[in-house]
Order: sequence, then structure tokens, then C-alpha cells
Amino acid sequence: MSAHTNENEDKIVLGDQEILKSDLLTLNMGPQHPATHGVLRVEIKTDSEIVVDAIPHLGYLHRCFEKHAENLDYRGVIPFVDRMDYVAAMSMEWGYALAVERMLGTEVPKRAEYIRVLVAELQRIASHLLFFGTYAIDIGAFTPFLYAFQDREDILRLFEELSGARMLYNYIWIGGVWNDVNDEQLNRIEKFCNRFEDELKKYHSLVGLNKIFINRTANVGVISKDVAYDYGATGPVLRGSGVKWDLRKNRTYGLYDKFEFDVPVGTGEMGTVGDCWDRYHVRVLEMFESIKIIRQALEGIEAGPVMGKVPKIIKVPAGEIYMRTECPRGELGYHLISDGGKTPYRLKVKSSCFTHVSILPAISPGLMIADMVATIGSIDIVLGEVDR
Amino acid sequence: METIHLKKNIEPALTFGQWLKNIYEAVKTTAIGMGITFKYVWGRDVVTIEYPEVREELPANSRSRLYNDAENCISCLQCAVACPVDCIYISAIKRPTDAPKIKTKDGTPIRLDLKQYTIDTALCCYCGLCTTVCPTECLTHTTDYEFASYTLSAMKYDYLAPDIRAWRTRIVK
Amino acid sequence: MHNQIADTLNKAVPGCNARVNEATIGDKSVTVEATHILDVCRTMKNCSNHEFNVLQVITGTDYPDRIELSYILASFTKNLEIILKVNLPRGDKFNLPKINSVTSVWRAADFQERETYDMIGIDFVGHPDFRRILCPYDWDGHPLRRDYIVQEKYLDMVVDPPGKNNTDDQMFGKRLKEELGDPKRVSASWKDDGAGEETEAKDGE
Repeated sequence: MSAHTNENEDKIVLGDQEILKSDLLTLNMGPQHPATHGVLRVEIKTDSEIVVDAIPHLGYLHRCFEKHAENLDYRGVIPFVDRMDYVAAMSMEWGYALAVERMLGTEVPKRAEYIRVLVAELQRIASHLLFFGTYAIDIGAFTPFLYAFQDREDILRLFEELSGARMLYNYIWIGGVWNDVNDEQLNRIEKFCNRFEDELKKYHSLVGLNKIFINRTANVGVISKDVAYDYGATGPVLRGSGVKWDLRKNRTYGLYDKFEFDVPVGTGEMGTVGDCWDRYHVRVLEMFESIKIIRQALEGIEAGPVMGKVPKIIKVPAGEIYMRTECPRGELGYHLISDGGKTPYRLKVKSSCFTHVSILPAISPGLMIADMVATIGSIDIVLGEVDR
Repeated sequence: METIHLKKNIEPALTFGQWLKNIYEAVKTTAIGMGITFKYVWGRDVVTIEYPEVREELPANSRSRLYNDAENCISCLQCAVACPVDCIYISAIKRPTDAPKIKTKDGTPIRLDLKQYTIDTALCCYCGLCTTVCPTECLTHTTDYEFASYTLSAMKYDYLAPDIRAWRTRIVK
Repeated sequence: MHNQIADTLNKAVPGCNARVNEATIGDKSVTVEATHILDVCRTMKNCSNHEFNVLQVITGTDYPDRIELSYILASFTKNLEIILKVNLPRGDKFNLPKINSVTSVWRAADFQERETYDMIGIDFVGHPDFRRILCPYDWDGHPLRRDYIVQEKYLDMVVDPPGKNNTDDQMFGKRLKEELGDPKRVSASWKDDGAGEETEAKDGE
């Protein structure tokens, strides 16, 4: 890399190596970054300000949950399962409990099913509120973050009374749920729904319809339908690209076939179909649909026990099952292979955030660095689920 | 090396009318947002709980620090087996047949002398599985959440030591 | 549906030997030969009455005599799901079992195959970016194999320093769970119905 000046002339003559030197700048959107929502390292190669290539490096939060699960009994796996997507822990537990219950053939009482739906939809609202608050912060708006977290407080306080903890619940057990919910808590949920619906309309007009936000997120990070199918995107990322696919309607589980709700889909209202604004809007609309489901569940909840008949030592008969559920971030799949013993033989978790991180190299070329922040925020990853 | 073009250049060319419309929309949407924010400044109560002067009361079934009432423990080892992280260490010896017969407070006879009951609260994941399988309900969760210590070895709680047994009056009703 | 798919595969890809694994509990699956996996996957994606356009998981299971790879495919347009299984020999550290990569059929296979290589140790021939994903890039060994022993040192750092881990206490928990194999022996022996069993001192630390 030598450049030398010729004393007689005032030009700089480039050496051979310098002519061949590439002019891409490698930047580390490093493991410590406020906008990557966890320890994710994205190696960005940029040409002045425009990103040419983005390579994600994972594994900073890898705890090898799958190897732990081979040494724990079936009930003891549930606290570990919580810790994967710690923001939406109830959905993680429900998927695992369903996988084991389908193999065992246990019958879950009706009240427990209603409580599971209530809790999962409240968890969906809490998780989408967290997305809303942190996405606004990524774009630069600091105020909606605390509004969103104040509304989450009501939900988390209810979860603390039900299960005993605010974040890692260990509440949905194999065969039912742990504690019962009483009438006073159901009234509180109803009051929360009524109050929250108006507040959410305000929040949407504060952030989503703001011209600055629209300019930052419309036409940015467009995921077309073919790219979404090819890379295996699911959940709001797929629905933001215009595909009407929701596991609660298409491969229904729990009591979702009894409830009426819509599946919001991105329509390219502010830009192209499948851009960051569409994914944000799909999540806001999903919160409204969750409120509808909660109201219907509150009307229909029945009295009864909350725990079904499960043997003291759970031994799942030999076989395998792949169970998918719709979590706030996408589809979560549990592939459980059992050999008839007390511990799972192999428990593989298919996490939606892991596949969504693989879409980043496909949509990044052509974005500016500030748009990278908006794109990574809009696919809503939680590194606990990516790395497991 | 081929140049990469910005992906965002999809908007049509800017006219003067569109420029004015952009300004109007920007001002209007920002004004709506500021209106909401100002309503929050004067229209809402303060929700901050000023810790540590004010301490919030946790719900009764909160899963915080564990407490084992050693007088009622029958050393069945169920809690140690149920624990997913193996943080409970128990040692027990069978009582000789000529020793006086003792029972727990709900009538179960105690056949084993508990020699050592230690929970490593630094390893514990506060899941609550041990408290659900305890047959005499001597192992319970309390609502204490301020128990940070300076060393890791101080986090191994010996429930037969007199200073921890002294909590019994506060916790067991 | 599984029998239909097995017939279609046997006709379209001769030699793949597709057979259905029946199951009364859980999911059925279709096993194919490892050498024809690329043609099988192309057929599954393109055949018009099934259209498996999404690859969800590629995972591996370590059995004592073989490694079994599972490809779980889904069709979002026709609402179907299927598990394809492939059997491979176990190989060893210097001679990992080989199979063709299916990244040319679905781009989702990229990260999934890297994870399977990292955890189970399978060499995917033709992968565009073949390296580990969850463990560090120069890690030794494949953690999800049953005979995996963690390495002593990684880049001059001791992986499991004896002063920092709790080996005696962890051994206690493991030994306890192995010894108390029968649940009735523990829970019923201290009740007054006379089923008392002798229990000697269990040592902890």
C-alpha cells in the first residue's frame, strides 16, 4: 500500500497495490448496539453510505437449550423454554405443552383452555407494545416508549398475581395451567381492554401516522412475497408482505376456532407492500384483533378445574411430533422425538427469529446505514430465541 | 466494482404543489403528536414509585426468595428431584427406632433427621417447581426480593443455621 | 397423503426408495435415500398438487448406529406439512457424513444447514457459506452428539475452570435422580400406611 510523491511534480502517484484496493468500508454493527435488540453482530460492508452487504454473526447468547432438554424431565423443561423468547414467554410454554399433550393424549379442561387463550393474547399485546416502544426509540422518538411500558405494567401485574413472576412465568403446565384466575382479575382485564383500545388509537396517530416516521420507514427494507416464502418468513413479517397466513386460523389449536377475528395484512398503504411501515402496521392491527379475542374469551369462560389428569412421572410414548403455534414474532415449532423415557430424546426448537435474521443479507443491499437500523428493528428479533 | 444504487428512489419527481403538501402534512402530524404529549404532561398523575422510600407490596404468591421450615421437613427429597437446575442439597439420616416419635404440624410422622438442607440461591431459577411438590408445604416462596450479597458463597443458604431459622416468626403464619 | 407423496417420489426420482413410517401417536414421516435428496426436494417443491414452497427446519438426531436428518417442509398455499427423513452413517471427527445441500431449492436451508453442521456434524456439499453459526468459528466438536466432551481450552482460556464450577453439588443432583428411579419408593415410604422403606443417608455437600 505505498503511495509516493514525485518531488518534481505535485501529483501523487499510486503504487500497484493501491489501485487494486477495494473501497468498501467494513463496519461492525457490533454485539453492543442499542438498536440490535440484543447481542447481534451485523458486519456491514458499505460504499460511502450505502450498504453493499450485511452478514449477521450469531451465537453470542447461545446456551444450547436443546442439550439441556435431553437431561430434564418433561415438567422441568418449562422454565427453560421460557427463557428462549423471554419477552413472550407464555407463547413458548403453550407450544411445548401442546406438543407433549398431543403425544400423551391428555385432555385439558375447558377453563384451562380459556385461560390459556386469554393469557396468550395478553402476552401478544405486551410483546407488540414492547416492539412499538423500542421501534419508536430506534427511529428516534423517545416518548412512546414509556407510554407503551406503562400499559404493559397492567398486563405484567396481572401475570405476577397469576403466576408469581413478571417475566419468566412457568405458568402453562402440561395438562392445564398452574393457578386459577378469579373474577376480580377478569374484571380488571375487561377494564384494561376498554381503556387500551382508545389509547392504542392515540399511540398509532402519535407514531405511525407521523410524517417523519413514514419517511423513515416507507419503501425501506421491502420483502417481497417470493423472498418471504423462499427464506421461510412467518408471522408479521410474512403478513406484512401481503400473505394472509395465520396459524390460529389455518392450522387451528386451542380454542381459536371458536373466536371471530381478522388477520391483518400489509397493503402498501404508505409505500410498497412489504416495507417496514407495513410490518409495523400489521403489529398494531394485531393488537386490536387481540382485544377482540380477549373480549370473546371473557364472555365465554366457564367454571371448572384448571388442571387435567397427568401422571406423576410423565413418560411420553415413543414417536415424534412437530407442533407449530403462532407466537408474537412468528411461528414457533417444537420437534419432539421421544423414546419412551422420562426425558425427551431430542427436542428441537424452530424459532422464527432465526429465519428472519437470515433474510437480512437479501434485503440489505441498497439501504443506507440508518435504514439498516429501521429494518433490523422492524423484523422484531429477540436474541434469546435466535440463539436459544 | 459495480455501483450499488439506493433502493429508495421510487418517489415521483417533486412538484411545487407536492412540496407544499409535504410541509403541511409534516406540520399537521407533528402537531397532533405534540398535542398528545402535552395532554400527558398535565393530564396524568405521576406513576413513578419512588423506591427506596416507597416500597411496592408484591402479590402474596410472588416467587422470590425461598424459605424452608426445617421443623416440618420430612426429608422426602422431592424438591431436590424436581429442581431443574439441581440447586438443593439435602442430607438425612434415619432416626433410630427407640427415638421419640415426632410428627409435622399436619400429622405426617418424621422418620428421618435432617442433617443438612442447603439451597444455592445463586443457581436457583425461581421457577417454583420445588414448592409445588413439597408434601408438607414446608418449602415456600416468600416475597423478599432484597437479598443481594457480596460473595457468591454467601448465596448458599443453610436452612438449619440459627440465623435463618429465626425468620420463622416472620414468615410462617 | 403420505402414501401419495411416497408414490409420487418413487415415480419421479427412481432410486430414492421413499417409504412411509407409520405412527399411531404423533406424526408420520417419509424416509428417502440420502444420495437423492436434491432431486427429491426439487420434486416436492415443484409438484403441482402439493407445492411445498417453504422449508421450515433441518434437524438431526444422534442415534447409536446412525444419524437421522429430518427435513420438515410446509406448503403455505395448500396448507400441508410433511417430515422427510434421511439416514446417514455417524462418521467421526475427521470424516463427517456428507449430503448434498438444498440451498438451491430453498434459501431458508442456508442457516438451517449451518446449524445442523455446527450441532450434529454433517458436511453439506455445495453450501455457499459453510461455517459454524452458533458456536465460535474455531470451536472443536459437535455439541449435540451423545459422545461430545467439551474441549479443555479455547484460545488460551480454560473452558470449565475447576474453581468456578460446582462439580460436587452437580454430581449430587445427578446421582440422586439416577438412584431414585422409582417414584413410589420416595413418596409413599414416609406415610403411615406401613410401606416404609429403608433409606440410608444421602450425601450432599
